[in-house]
Amino acid sequence: MTPLIDFFTDPILRPSTVGCMLMCFASALVGVVVFLRKRSLIGETLSHASFPGVVIGVFLSALLIPYSDELVALAILCGAFLFAFLGLIVLNFLENRLQVKADSALCFVLASFFGLGILIASRLQQSYPLWYKQALIFLYGQAATMTNMHVIIYACFSFVILGFILYFYRYLEAVNFDPSFSETLGIRSKRLDDMMFLLIVLAIVVGIRSVGVVLMAGMLIGPAVAARPLTHQLSHHFALAGAFGVASGFLGNYLSVVIPQGAYSLPTGPMILLVSSAFCFLSLLLAPRSGLITRYLRMRRFSFQCAVENALKSLWKGEEKASFPPLIRWQLKRRKWIDPQGHLTGHGKAAAEKIIRLHRLWEVYLVDYMGQKVEKVHRTAEELEHLMSPDLERELTELLHNPQHDPHHQPIPPPLPPLGPT
Amino acid sequence: MNILEVEQLTVNYEKTSVLWDVNFAIPEKKIVGILGPNGAGKSTLLKALLGLVKPLSGHITFFGKPLAQVRKRVGYVPQRSSVDWDFPITAFDLVMMGRYGKMGLLKWASKEDREATRMALEQVEMLPFADRQIGQLSGGQQQRLFIARALVQDADVYLLDEPFAGIDMATEKTLLDLFHALREKGKTLLIVHHNLASTETYFDWLILLNTCLIATGPVSEVFNQQNIWRTYGRSSILLDEAAIKAKNKTSGLL
Amino acid sequence: MNPYWGQDFFGFFSVLFRRLTGQLPLDHLASDEVQLLVLMGVALSTVLLGTFLSLKKMTMMANSLSHTTLLGIVISYIIFFTPETDLSVNTGILFLAALISALLTTVLTELARDLLKLQEDAAIGLVFTTLFALGIILVTVFTRNSHIGVEVITGNVDALHPEDIRLVWVTALINFALIGLFFRQWVMTAFDEKLSFSLGVPTRALHYLLMFLTALTLIAAFRAVGVLLVLSFLVGPTLIARQWTHRLTTLLLLGMGFGLFASIFGVALSRHFLSVYHMPLSTGGLVVTLISIIYLVSTVLTFRSSRGLIRS
Repeated sequence: MTPLIDFFTDPILRPSTVGCMLMCFASALVGVVVFLRKRSLIGETLSHASFPGVVIGVFLSALLIPYSDELVALAILCGAFLFAFLGLIVLNFLENRLQVKADSALCFVLASFFGLGILIASRLQQSYPLWYKQALIFLYGQAATMTNMHVIIYACFSFVILGFILYFYRYLEAVNFDPSFSETLGIRSKRLDDMMFLLIVLAIVVGIRSVGVVLMAGMLIGPAVAARPLTHQLSHHFALAGAFGVASGFLGNYLSVVIPQGAYSLPTGPMILLVSSAFCFLSLLLAPRSGLITRYLRMRRFSFQCAVENALKSLWKGEEKASFPPLIRWQLKRRKWIDPQGHLTGHGKAAAEKIIRLHRLWEVYLVDYMGQKVEKVHRTAEELEHLMSPDLERELTELLHNPQHDPHHQPIPPPLPPLGPT
Repeated sequence: MNILEVEQLTVNYEKTSVLWDVNFAIPEKKIVGILGPNGAGKSTLLKALLGLVKPLSGHITFFGKPLAQVRKRVGYVPQRSSVDWDFPITAFDLVMMGRYGKMGLLKWASKEDREATRMALEQVEMLPFADRQIGQLSGGQQQRLFIARALVQDADVYLLDEPFAGIDMATEKTLLDLFHALREKGKTLLIVHHNLASTETYFDWLILLNTCLIATGPVSEVFNQQNIWRTYGRSSILLDEAAIKAKNKTSGLL
Repeated sequence: MNPYWGQDFFGFFSVLFRRLTGQLPLDHLASDEVQLLVLMGVALSTVLLGTFLSLKKMTMMANSLSHTTLLGIVISYIIFFTPETDLSVNTGILFLAALISALLTTVLTELARDLLKLQEDAAIGLVFTTLFALGIILVTVFTRNSHIGVEVITGNVDALHPEDIRLVWVTALINFALIGLFFRQWVMTAFDEKLSFSLGVPTRALHYLLMFLTALTLIAAFRAVGVLLVLSFLVGPTLIARQWTHRLTTLLLLGMGFGLFASIFGVALSRHFLSVYHMPLSTGGLVVTLISIIYLVSTVLTFRSSRGLIRS
């Protein structure tokens, strides 16, 4: 079993692990912008668009440069960047000048550029089979063969991106939320946007070495998606996305080595992506406010609370001591609203009166303010009475000038003193 | 006989629009205006009536039956902005879509269908434009196409979403004449409207909506100062707050 | 002996013409002709589906499907796998794979969007990359070989045999039948889904059917030309045709025309490069590039005339 520390010390494992962590960090940061601008699929298109550049880079370096790993890598990066950038330009041209719909433009640029890449690669296949294989690495990524040079490149790139975001943070906030408004404030949003998209293209190009062309789109937005439900602030969004990115990069490497236990090896790129998606899934399920499970639990809790309050009301009204389900009875006891014999306590009486008060206040509001018919308001008030908050109650009281009777001429219980027990 | 009966309709929809416990009935041969401020739930009401939005609770019947049984008798004219006008069809094709309810799943367009389409285009004075691609028409012309499509459906009750928005005066007059003609033929129209000023001239029955129903009935009875204030004034703030609270606690799974 | 061997571009057409009119013996199909027939079949299917996908703005969903079909194929192989199974052409497997892919992708994307409240573009992007990654992992685990190869993407036209022709044209037939049968409904749901629903058209069923047909076409084609070419046919010809007409039926016919044209010329060019320059090129890549060039030319030709029009 490979110990954890090996991933940072072993000369074979380290470049891949650290390299991926840095690369995922960088792409997560730019991914936040992509995600917020609702252009998540641009990563897919641009990563495919970069492919001809990769092939040409390989081709040219095979022809012109004596063999050197570093120079080849650099040539590939430059070629990829050029074509991805060209892809971006064509994309914008299609959408803005030729009135092509966004999704068609994305799909067309993707297919066309990629097709060109395949065409050129096929030329390569016959004469330079080794280089052909080199180019194909970029389709699915090959993190395992990263070297220290890659780590240095990624580290530099991460610094550049981090620096850019920190320096231009206020502008980024304004521009990404409302570009036209920022223009009127004098922020040169177009310039900033261009720079931002340049970085995005760069991130994509740099990242396809690790996860490959096909999966790059997911790597770009995954961490941003995972971070979104956890925060409302942009700065936190960036930070959390970066953290998720780094974690995915590490865990992807770790699991791809540890799971198969040496029998074979799992491809790193897909593992990183699966980890990132797992984070997304967990976050979307369990996030404190908007998670699916959180929402579900909140709903259940609220209906239970309503049931308890309704039981309390019926006790207060002196109705038949109906047999409440044990769970409700337990809750009533727990909140000291009934005594062990099942009779209403002082606290219980006060709590019930609070609910009744709110109910009748709403009735007054609905009739006097909203012009509802008296016969119809009871049902609505039945629902509204459970939505308790001191502010709401106070505002209602003020608005209606502290009424003493509801539309059915029943008395409204007085408000509790400010620091009274509940 | 009531064309439409709505009981206890409550709809939670997206982030803002909510309908709460709406009850009303509409008699036949009326031109009904649905009025209310933005976000009051007017479009949501139409969508709920058509089954495009699933209500949290409530009961809707057309001619005493649920919508699924009487679909052919209910016509829908959506907002102009809801459609992609770049679509490669001609004015004629668009209007003929209204016949599809009658044509059944597998049949081709018949002579009657074409004739009916032609007549509807004539009625809205759009026959000369039958061959134009729909994006090449003005706002008023597009609205007339929508109406023609509804006419061709030959329904008994029509639901229209802001038909008077952004059209020229000539089209406005054409539409009004058409609506009156429809009413004479025994049809009922429910129209979501945005302009308070024209209310008394256009409609003979009103639904005033602001999350909950403020008032409904003949224009002469319902269109008064107090009701307008209740609909458009700031009186519903607390209710809106409560609605948001409720939405966060009680709904949100789908 | 391949009658097209050594032919240049024009020689290709002359041989083709002579074989069609019976002047040259036609006892069995040359590989070039197999390529031609397969490509043409793919072109017809894909342009037909692609037009509707473009109108519904769902082309990126098709892109999504093109990736997830890998997972579908893997899963159906796992279900069907026996050592004797010929892994190459088994229509039952392919059909099942299409069904699984279409269902998984569509359902998961919708769940992500509606239940998890994820924005549409992110939902699409996340679902298909996750499923694709899963597909790669599964293939690695089951074949102990992490090298999927580029053939999923480009296909391998040289490894085609006449079985593929049948597969591709049967798929084309299915597509034409199902689209043609419910043509009006397809047009309506593409134009105004809400209205169609209110008129009683089964919009959801049609949506799932379109996804299934796309997945089926993708899978039928992937052995031959890879998913890449299908994507290009899906959007390209429609975009070109849209510059010349605003009528739907003309759009479809013109689009298919461009698709067929690109296929035929692509195969001819491929033969030409092989014979004259001794360069074996990817026919798929050639056709895709041809489509791009046609689009470029078409844009230049129509750009000048549209300058004066005020676009609403």
